[in-house]
Amino acid sequence: MAYKPQYGPGTSKVAEVRRNQMNPNVKLEKIRSVTDEDIVLIMGHRAPGQAYPSAHPPLAEQGEPDCPIRKIVKPTEGAKAGDRVRYIQFADSMLNGPSQPYQRTYLECYRFRGIDPGTLSGRQIVECRERDLEGYARELIETSIFDPATTGIRGATVHGHSLRLAENGMMFDMLQRCILDKDGVVKYIKDQVGVPLDRKVAVGKPMDAAWLKANTPMFHSLVGTSFRSDSEYVAYVQRIHALRTKYGFMPKEA
Amino acid sequence: MTESTYPQLRIVPTRFLNPETTEILLEKICTLDGIRRLVLNGPNLPATVPYGPARGTVNDNSLRRVIKVCGEDYLLHVQVGAILLELEDASVIPLVKAACDEVFADKFPYGITEGTYMRSNMTTTDYAKYGIVDDKRILGMSDPKSKQRPIILQGTK
Repeated sequence: MAYKPQYGPGTSKVAEVRRNQMNPNVKLEKIRSVTDEDIVLIMGHRAPGQAYPSAHPPLAEQGEPDCPIRKIVKPTEGAKAGDRVRYIQFADSMLNGPSQPYQRTYLECYRFRGIDPGTLSGRQIVECRERDLEGYARELIETSIFDPATTGIRGATVHGHSLRLAENGMMFDMLQRCILDKDGVVKYIKDQVGVPLDRKVAVGKPMDAAWLKANTPMFHSLVGTSFRSDSEYVAYVQRIHALRTKYGFMPKEA
Repeated sequence: MTESTYPQLRIVPTRFLNPETTEILLEKICTLDGIRRLVLNGPNLPATVPYGPARGTVNDNSLRRVIKVCGEDYLLHVQVGAILLELEDASVIPLVKAACDEVFADKFPYGITEGTYMRSNMTTTDYAKYGIVDDKRILGMSDPKSKQRPIILQGTK
């Protein structure tokens, strides 16, 4: 019988959202559209329209050594062209944000190739070749794992994921990279490290509270689904905890 | 540390306040008789970008602006998350609650609790920063690293 990954335990809506986000066979729901230029502007690694700067000659030109691994693993487009490695970093509000750092890393590892994710408590960074990154960033921004108000694209000075929201529902950002404009659309006025942009970059309207509650992969006893309401999840975590405590890195059930 | 002889309050709204709402709330609270000290708490909004490649760039932020409190200009450089108050006596508490009810009625819930939130005795850090101080009201109000001084509002008495 072929192995079928389960992605995670749990019977709650949160557990289901987690599994769906991680499962590469489930297509993430597209909610908004952003242009290539918008993505390039928000990330701020190169000017829109500029050719991709390269870190090394294209693989076809530089002559690859005879290596069995290189025959098995096909390079991504960015690696083939010798692009630089660049990053995008997200901060997700704990108040029903549509993704969270660990979840992002899991889903990126299942869905994307040639990436190097970095997971921290309040932010998650993903590094990869520049042209691959732009494609991945598009998926991360346009789909249901992004909410303009409770997710921030923040390269530096990320503080805010665990704080209360502002009066207008936006997550705290000391650099105010994005604003909720008068037309109800969230617009980036600075790139991810805080350099002001020449024009506002719209990333869509904030999702409402009901949608966020139904699409968050985070348990929250006050504003969302409580962890203890999912007894299967609790039992699973307790089991892993017990196994690790008793047997260290060689868990064996009695 | 001895307990303050003056009652202290902490107002915690469920959302961070805009400067506009802060202005409205302070206008109501600061016109009450019997407020000794007031601290606006919240995460800092720096004047320049503190970290990263854009370090040193001016940080344009509509939430960092000068607000008017009882006719005095005050640079609000935090996004207000909590307001600490020290009162002359407990009779002011209902008046503060009424002012908060009025401001937050059509916005979002808030919590108000009585306790000890500001020091009334000196710590070593206070001594290092201020030396010997005659006016004890400054204690427990400011961040020792902050260069901004508190403003003194003329009372209504």
